[in-house]
Amino acid sequence: MRWPWVILGGALLVAPLTFQDPFYERMIALVLMWAVLASAWNIVGGYAGQVSFGHAIFFGVGAYVPLLVYTHWHGVPLLGIPVGIAVSVGIAAIVGMPTFRLRGHYFSMATIAVAELFRLLVTNWEFVGAARGLGGPAIGRTIWDLSYRSSVPYYYIFLVVLCLVLAFTCWMERTRMGYYLRAVKSGERAARSLGVSAPRYKLYAMIASAAFTSLGGSLYAVMLGFVDPDSVFGIMVSVQMVIMAALGGAGTLVGPLVGAALLIPLQTFANSLFGGEGSGLTFILYGGIIILLSRFEPGGLVEIWGRYMAWTGRKGRGE
Amino acid sequence: MSSTTLLKAQKVSKAFQGFWAVMGADFELSPGEIVGIIGPNGAGKSTFFNCLSGEMVPTSGSVIFRDTNVTRATPEQHARLGIGRTYQVPATFEDMTILDNVMVGAFLRRAHQADARKEAMQVLDFTGLGAQADHRAKSLGTPGRKRLEIARALATKPRLLLLDEALSGLTPLEIQQAIGLVRQIHQTGVTLVIVEHIMEVVLTLAQRVIVFNHGQIIATGRPEEIVNDPKVVDAYLGAGRKSRRFSARSGPNGRGA
Repeated sequence: MRWPWVILGGALLVAPLTFQDPFYERMIALVLMWAVLASAWNIVGGYAGQVSFGHAIFFGVGAYVPLLVYTHWHGVPLLGIPVGIAVSVGIAAIVGMPTFRLRGHYFSMATIAVAELFRLLVTNWEFVGAARGLGGPAIGRTIWDLSYRSSVPYYYIFLVVLCLVLAFTCWMERTRMGYYLRAVKSGERAARSLGVSAPRYKLYAMIASAAFTSLGGSLYAVMLGFVDPDSVFGIMVSVQMVIMAALGGAGTLVGPLVGAALLIPLQTFANSLFGGEGSGLTFILYGGIIILLSRFEPGGLVEIWGRYMAWTGRKGRGE
Repeated sequence: MSSTTLLKAQKVSKAFQGFWAVMGADFELSPGEIVGIIGPNGAGKSTFFNCLSGEMVPTSGSVIFRDTNVTRATPEQHARLGIGRTYQVPATFEDMTILDNVMVGAFLRRAHQADARKEAMQVLDFTGLGAQADHRAKSLGTPGRKRLEIARALATKPRLLLLDEALSGLTPLEIQQAIGLVRQIHQTGVTLVIVEHIMEVVLTLAQRVIVFNHGQIIATGRPEEIVNDPKVVDAYLGAGRKSRRFSARSGPNGRGA
């Protein structure tokens, strides 16, 4: 099982060299960014089964804080990244404690409500730029501003962060926490009877997920150099994380990567082909994916692949 | 509380919006006992059982386990103190392997994956599921799932194991095998409380039987005393059919093996 990972790692390292076009360079950087976000969501949504539609909060906080550091104190946006993570973790703990008492759809609905509350708050708060949003340094003052014309440096930054998220997820899968989260997802009542403190472990998952989502949001803001409430706190940010993880296979390591690798190019091409109308097409695509997944394959593409491999294995043995 | 008492329930009552499912149940359990709880459908035995396992908080009364008041303790606190349980409808973690299911239980006393796996494999071998360790739980039939639930609870190293109809839905042969397993568990020093519809199981396994009817304990005693107790016969068969004695294989409401 190591070779596929080595090949994938090698391909990811050389990918920007094969795309000499800024359009494609930007697209693959976005693929990695969304792979980071979907993988971060996967920790709490996929492994613990707590389908949060409120992760835009952490993405938005992560995006805003570095640009706030620049706007108000002319500091290096990079300094805002740990602050953004700390704020996101705090919000995750505060939001998580009451909402994790809710089950299933009620939890998801509560997260939507809290995320919308944040969007409205930021839209009307002058200190954070209100509806206009915030901008970063137009031209990099020092190397620490991370301001590049090309998307390639951002691609490699996202690659490093993706490796971090995957390493954490891999480690988590093998620890008590990974087993407990999967048990809670499968049956909270039975898990608790085995000594699993479900609220505590769900909270740990939410905190880890919020930290990585915030980091992704910060890097997105640094790359783009501009954020506004709708683009980072909007519900579509959360929906995209959910759809990517679910399409690939929520609760699996590679599922979110597969989802991001498929959906971001699709979305990018739809936007470039159909212009403004392309975004509407993206929503139709997302709706279709939700319907198909919930009706036919909640396990996502990874599950289909696993079943196909089992089938070919059986066929090979002549069963 | 006497040093020979493992668990003591005092005047336990549970009401659901004015309906008293359990009323003033008193119950004591000594270490090493096997106690059966029987009663017709809706008698309150499962509610009482849930109050003992922490699944429900009694409306009044108290539950003491090894000198610790667990009346309001959460199910996970019950597990940590050494009370394991199974469910009437098996609640296995379907998409996890059989080994992983049991490892979830083993992680309660083992912090590291390798130790938890070793512990879980021992329990799986003990319960006869070792050969299927890598299969997903959903690949098991009802007997396998019930066995897996027992294995999972055993992995938490309980002092007291509460079995909620762990043998219902099994064939006569499977029941015999399951009775053998319960006996083996008992021999390891685990105290057992069994809620069961199948009289054969209760009469074969239990050293003491408690009978519930209309939310109250109407009889308690050795199995052979219980089957001839007029109040029990009334509860199960109705006053007009006192002359009939229910056989070992029959259960209330026609249910049984």
